[in-house]
Order: sequence, then structure tokens, then C-alpha cells
Amino acid sequence: MNGPFLLTLIWVLPFIIALVTIPVHQENHLRIKVISLLGNFVNLILVILLTIQFIGVSNTSSTVQESNVSLFQYGYKVAWFTIMNIEYNIGVDAISVLMMLLTAIVIFCGIIASWEVEKQAKEFFILLNVLVAGVYGVFVSIDLFTLFLFYEIAVLPMYLLIGLWGTGRKEYAAMKLTLMLVAGSAFILAGILGLYFESGLNTFDLNQLSQVRFSDSFQYWAFPLVFLGFGVLGAIFPFHTWSPDGHASAPTAVSMLHAGVLMKLGGYGCLRVGMYLMPEGAHMWMNVFLVLVTINVLYGAFGAIRQTDLKYITAYSSVSHCGLVLFGFTAMTFTGLKGGVLQMISHGLMTALFFCLIGMVYGRTHTRTVSEMGGLMKVMPFLSIAFIIVGLAGLGLPSLSGFVAEANVFVGSFANPALINRVCSVLAVLSIVVTAVYVLRTVNSLVNGPIRKQYNTLIDASPLEKVPVIILLFCLFGMGILPGWIIELVNGAVHPIFNNLMR
Amino acid sequence: MNLLLPEFFLLFLTFFILSLDLWRNKSQSALSFHLSWGGLLALFVLLLALPYDQEQVYFGGYTVNGTALLFKQIFVLSALFTVLLSRPYFTPGGNRRGTLKYRSEFYCIILLCTFGMFAVVSAKDLLTVFIGMELATIPLYILSGYQKEDAFSVEASTKYIIMGSLSTGLLLFGYSFLYGCAGSLGFDAIAAVAQSSQDEPLLKLGVLFVFAAIGFKLTLFPFHMWAPDVYDGSPTPVTAFISVSSKSVAIAFLLILVYGPLAPMHGYLQPILLILAAATMTVGNLGALRQLKLRRFMAYSSIAQAGYIIMAMAGTSEAAWSSIIYYLFVYAAANYALFFIISLIGRHGNEEFKSLQGMGKQHPVLAAVLLLTLFSLGGIPPLAGFMGKFLLFAAAAEQGFYAMVVFAALNSTISLYYYLLLAKEAYIIKPFAVKNNLLQTDIVQKVSLMVLTSAMIFFGLLPVFSNAIRATVH
Repeated sequence: MNGPFLLTLIWVLPFIIALVTIPVHQENHLRIKVISLLGNFVNLILVILLTIQFIGVSNTSSTVQESNVSLFQYGYKVAWFTIMNIEYNIGVDAISVLMMLLTAIVIFCGIIASWEVEKQAKEFFILLNVLVAGVYGVFVSIDLFTLFLFYEIAVLPMYLLIGLWGTGRKEYAAMKLTLMLVAGSAFILAGILGLYFESGLNTFDLNQLSQVRFSDSFQYWAFPLVFLGFGVLGAIFPFHTWSPDGHASAPTAVSMLHAGVLMKLGGYGCLRVGMYLMPEGAHMWMNVFLVLVTINVLYGAFGAIRQTDLKYITAYSSVSHCGLVLFGFTAMTFTGLKGGVLQMISHGLMTALFFCLIGMVYGRTHTRTVSEMGGLMKVMPFLSIAFIIVGLAGLGLPSLSGFVAEANVFVGSFANPALINRVCSVLAVLSIVVTAVYVLRTVNSLVNGPIRKQYNTLIDASPLEKVPVIILLFCLFGMGILPGWIIELVNGAVHPIFNNLMR
Repeated sequence: MNLLLPEFFLLFLTFFILSLDLWRNKSQSALSFHLSWGGLLALFVLLLALPYDQEQVYFGGYTVNGTALLFKQIFVLSALFTVLLSRPYFTPGGNRRGTLKYRSEFYCIILLCTFGMFAVVSAKDLLTVFIGMELATIPLYILSGYQKEDAFSVEASTKYIIMGSLSTGLLLFGYSFLYGCAGSLGFDAIAAVAQSSQDEPLLKLGVLFVFAAIGFKLTLFPFHMWAPDVYDGSPTPVTAFISVSSKSVAIAFLLILVYGPLAPMHGYLQPILLILAAATMTVGNLGALRQLKLRRFMAYSSIAQAGYIIMAMAGTSEAAWSSIIYYLFVYAAANYALFFIISLIGRHGNEEFKSLQGMGKQHPVLAAVLLLTLFSLGGIPPLAGFMGKFLLFAAAAEQGFYAMVVFAALNSTISLYYYLLLAKEAYIIKPFAVKNNLLQTDIVQKVSLMVLTSAMIFFGLLPVFSNAIRATVH
């Protein structure tokens, strides 16, 4: 299929699903869910198709790896708001393709996982699809304005999704999350406008902007704005506080999507807009951010130890693991960048599965407090084993995706000979130990030990529930055992960014 | 074609409607309503048909050009929606504060106001501006006190008169300085003196007084105090009219002044405008946080919006004109949509936050419109408010005021908080008791809301509007 058309179709399709859902009667839950499921299944197929095509293209043009020029494939642009040279400008590189694949998998699993949503199901699935459309939109955009626009579209539905269908302190969490992310986008907005006017080109085109050497004084203030702005969504310390509350309060599918994919928009933006366009600024500020994300990695891990609520544990571990994404980037080495990108994918799969399982367990036990559970292995072996596996992925066991990513991150970080990088690497590696503590402790008290009386009647996952778990487990193992093709793809995409960084 | 045609048409319409009751002697008939909205619609079509690329000067003091016509479009649309808003509002049972006694007069006053606004945007000298401003403001004192039996309405009117008179006094005082410096009230003479003696303290003083006077109309900090009371006390259609038309005309005046006769002093005005903008948006946003009544809330929200708009005036002429006109269209659409919803709520309950509860379940369509409106006001894509704010911010950024952009965007985040509070009332909070009196929308309200909502969506997605505005400004 025609590449640019395929890209457009992929982000438009969720919007169409949302539009098709509107006329359905609101009591007809089954039809609403089936529309969403089928639509996103088609989209998953489309994205897989895209990935296969893309692998074909990038194999034939192996020279890309060495050159700096054609970062994006399937480029297509048409003028939109000519008043500010805004274009509908799309294209993908390997990072975006992989992120889209991740999105497609997670949302497909997320829709199955939210099959039980009964309350105002129509609105739920409409908002969910709008959100997904925004996420795809960010990954296909080359024009900074459209990227920003889709970014905001992806952030806003979250308010209602958490506020309406969430649990616990949902209104507080929803408001906090939305406001912090939108405040982050205020920084991004200023940065983007700065790039537009200071480049002298009056364009939002990423390809053109990447060729511009911005003045040091401009990069000195614009880089931290953009990096922090996107970093808020990547839960960078000290702007991570929305994440535990938000993820803990959100309904299952939203947690999956948010921790799995949306947080990656942050890392993606940091890399694509921040480091790629303003490499000199990155050099000036990297030590500051390195320290911040090291705190992230450690603080998240230690935070998780102290929590007793399953969702909070996972949310804090997300802070820690998402910190590793940025940690890889701040290493400023090729391997580090690559590791960061791999960690985005690995963490996306892992945390989606985590939240998916927690949703299922919570649906049965009606508690998320770890100490109130135990012995679940006896009544639901499938879920328990999945839990163990994903826990092991979290602490980076080889043959699971986490190992591939984290190994690259740490190696890349240590490869930078500066003292501060070495010190921070050593500190960050320690987080693995801490991770092991909370993961093993949590999993242990969940699946082992005596079972409570009231849980004796619980049943294991239904066939429908097994589908997302199996898909995600398959991906975790797939990436852990056969990471070669992914690494190959990522290599190709990271090269131009790295070259820019070292110019 | 004669570019004065809209003015003549509007004057004729005004007095025709006024005199209608004299010979029909049926003061409660709907004829004046139908004539008003029909006439305004015809006037809008007429405005669209006029050429936007030429300028004509009449009698040396009155000019019609493309930007003036664009502003006239805003005024006509605003008057049109005010008329549409007031019809269901003033029918028996339409609100809880009393019906409308003198209908033809009400519509006539709105049209008269609009004529005054026409004069402001077409003026070539300060005297015409002054007459236009007074013509646009004095009828509003009457309108805001239109519900004579309602104490709040009377209070609003009184406050408005006092504050408005003060502002008029300031304006005249400022004029006297300008006249003293330039020897004339014509724009050309003032431009010449602004060019030649920029550092003349009396000139600067005069400009500051004029700014203060406009600040009252525009609800700029620190001249914004009257707005919440007047907005809260006036009948809802009048509040909507004040918040859109009256504000737009003040903005038009400021734009004409800043980029016309005072253009040589732009460097001196920039910091003043930026400080005013920053203070105004902050005060508006912080004030809105604690509100519980919808119309007071709208007052603060529109104060904040004025702040964003003023910010763009630090930019170049072209960027400021085009972004501000675009934003005014967008702002008008969102404001009217919200006031339609407020007037719907006002039928059965108090016009306050609590009355929105349960809307998401009982009236999903209406709630969705509310949500879109709030998102547009808050500047969330893909709605028009996003593009509007983006252009305003870009106008300031072009001149290098990036810190201001960050500040304004953070302010916009605060505003999103209280817009989301409304969304929370409508969607998330469960009402204590299920309300039986469902909101009923009649055909006028349905069509109006439909038009306004599609305007909010298509202005944000289709580039034709912003391109047309930019082309006219250019």
C-alpha cells in the first residue's frame, strides 16, 4: 500500500471509529465494544503491514545508516495553515514505526481488557479512540505544529477518562495529571515558536530545522524548555508526581495506554525535538538532566518499595523505568540513545501487561493492597504465572525484553567517559537491585502463601482475558529472544540523531 | 458599490424596528424579533459581498477598509446571536428574573450599539472614535438595567454607568493632551507628532490616559473591577453582548490607535502592553478560580482572554491584526455557545456551577457542546481556540518575547483548570437528586448552538478563514 496514505489512514482510523460510535445507541454496549475492537484490530494489521514494508525499505537503502539526510520514510506534505507555513507533513523513521507498533498492540489489548466497562461505555470508547488517534498523530508528524497539536489531543481526553471511570481519588488525580502535562506543553509551545522564528526559515518542518545551526544563546534557554516540557510526560524528576496518582486512579485500559504509550511521547519528544534539533543545547545541559533522571531511576525504585497498593507500585516502577529511557538519552552515546529507544518499547509492553494483570486481579479480589492478597497461584495459576514473568521482565532477566533494553542503557551510559556519567551509571545500576526487592516481594506475597478464605472461589482468566496477556507475553519474549531486527531498525534511526548530536 | 451601505442599512433597520410598535400597537408581537435577526443576517451577507481589498474615505473622517469590514462582521454576528439569545430568554418561563416588557426597544438598542461600533472601526480621527464609543456604550447602561424589578440588574446598571462615565472622562482628558500636542484630533496629525517628538512627556501622558479609558472597556487590570458585578447583574443576553461586542470594539480601538497614529511609539508601548497583558490574564485567571456563579465566572474568564489578546499587540502590525481578528471570531463563537447553555440552565435553576450536574448523562449532546466550548476557550486542539491562541502567542514570539509566551501559556494552564471544573460538574459529579425538569431547547437555540459549534470546529481545522483574514490585513 502507498506509504503516506497508510500513515494517514492509521491515525485517521481511530477518529473514524469514534465517529462511527457516536450514532450507536448508548445501551448497546456490545456493538460499541465490537466496533472499537474490530477497528483497532484492523489498525493493528495496518501497522504490522507498515512495519514489514518499512523493514523492506530500510534494508534496500542501507546507505541511510551512514548518511545524515533521509531520516524519514514515506514523507508527504501538503500546506495546511499557510498563515504560519504550517504543513500537514508526515513521515516515519524506525523509532516512530516501532512506537506505532507498540501503540497498536497496547490499545488492542487495552480494549479487550476494558471489555467489562459498563458505565457510559459509549463515551469511554469514543474518548479512548480519540486519545489513540492523538498518539498515532504524534508519531507520524514531522511538522512541529501538528506534532504539538496531536500531543495535546492525546493528553486531554485523559482528564475525563480518569475522572469518570477511575477509582480512588480520581478527580484530584485527573486534574493533577492534566494540568501538569498541559503546563509542560506550555514550555514546549514556547520552544517550538522559538525554533520557528530563530531558524530564520519560518518553518515547522523537522527535516529543514535539523539542518539549522541555532545560536548557542538560543539553545541555552530553548533546550531545557523543550526537554523539560516533554520530560513532564516522561515523568522526569521533579515533575513526576502526576504519574503515581494518575496511573493508580485510572481505569485499566487507560493505565495501560498511558504508562505504556503516552509516557513514551515524552521521551520521543525529548529525543526528536530537543536533542535532534538542539544538539549544542543538549551538550550544555546534559549533566543537569543526567542528575535529574538518575534521581528518577533511584527515587522511583525506592518509592515502589514503600507502596502497598499494586497500582502505586507499578506506577513508581514506571517512574523508575521511564527514567531509564531518559537516562539512556542523557548518556549522549550511540548505545545510550539506542538503549533509551529500546527501553521505551520494552517498558511499554511490560507496564501495559502489568496494569492489565492488575486490572484483572482487582476485578476479582476487589482490593489492590498487596498484604491483603496471597496464594493466588492456587486459584488463578494463569494470571499468577503471567505476573511472575512480567515481574522478572521488570527486573531485567535475560530472555525478556527488559534485559535487552537495560543492558544497552547501562552500557551506553558507562561508555561516556566523563566522571559524572560514570558515577551516575553506577548509581543507576543499583536500581536494579532495588527493583528486584520490590518485584520479588510483591510477586511473592501475591502468588504464594496461604490463601484467604474469601478468595477460594475466584476463577482464573477467561479465554477473552487471556488474549491480551498472551499477546503481550509473546511480545515480551519476542523482544527478549529475538531483539536483532528491532536493534537493527533502531540503529538506522538513531544514526542521524547521533550524528547531529556529535556535529 | 458604496461601502457605507451597511451603515445606512443598519440605521434604517434600527429606526424601522423602533417605530414598528408606534403604528402596530402590539408591543408583544414577535415581528420585531424576526425583523431584527432577518435584518442582521441580511446585513452580514451584505458585508460578505463588499470588496475587502479597497479603502474609501468619506468626509475626511470616516474610512472603510478590509479590516474595518472584518470587525463589522464580528459586531453584526454578535448582535445577531444576542437577538437570537434574547428571544427564548425573555419569553415567559425563559428565565427566572422576569420577562421583557419593551421588545422592539430592546432590539433597537442593540442595533444602535452596533452602529456605534461601526463608527469606531471606521474612524479617521479621535472625535469620531469618541462619538462611536459613546454610542456603543451608553445603550449598554440601559440594557444592563433592563430588568427593572431585579435588584441585581439595577445594581449592575448603576455600577456600569459610574465606571463608564469615569472612563469617558479619562478618555476626554487624554484627548486634551493629544490635542495639545498635535493641534488636531486627526490620526494623521497625531501620527506626525508621535513621529517627530516621541519623548514629549505630555504626549505620553495623554496616551496613558487614553489607555486607561480603553482599559475600562476592555477590562484590563487594574480597571477590571466592575466586570464581575455587571456581568452577573445584567440579563444573560446583555452579558453576552457586553463580553463580546463591547470588548471587541475596545480592542479595535486599541488596535487602530497602536498601529495607526501611535505606530511610531510602538517601542514605548510594547512594555506597557506586555505588563498590562500579563497582569490582566493573571488577575482574570486567579479570579475565576474561586467563582461559583456562571456569569461571574464568565466575567473573569473574559478578563483573562483580554489579557491574551493584548499580548499580541506587542507584535508586528500584520501579525497582531490578523491574529486578534481571528481570535475575536473564535472567542465570540465560544462565548455565545456558553451563554446559550447558561441561559438554558437559567430557565429552571440558578445560573451557577451546581446546576450543571448530571448534564453529561441527561443531555449528552448539550454536555458535549459544553465540553467543546470549554476546550475551545481553554485552547485545546483541534478546536479553534487552540489555533487562535497559537497565533496570538506567535505574534508575541515573533518579537522575541518568549518569556511572555511561557508566562501566557502557563496562565492558559490555570484557565484550563477552571474550564475543567465546569466539565467536572457536568460530567463527573453526581447530582444529589435526579432532576426532573429536563432542559428543553427550542429550534432557535438548537440551530444557534449548531452553528456556533461548527464554527468552533471548522475555524480550527480549515485554513480558509485565517488565510482570508491575513489576506485582508495584508
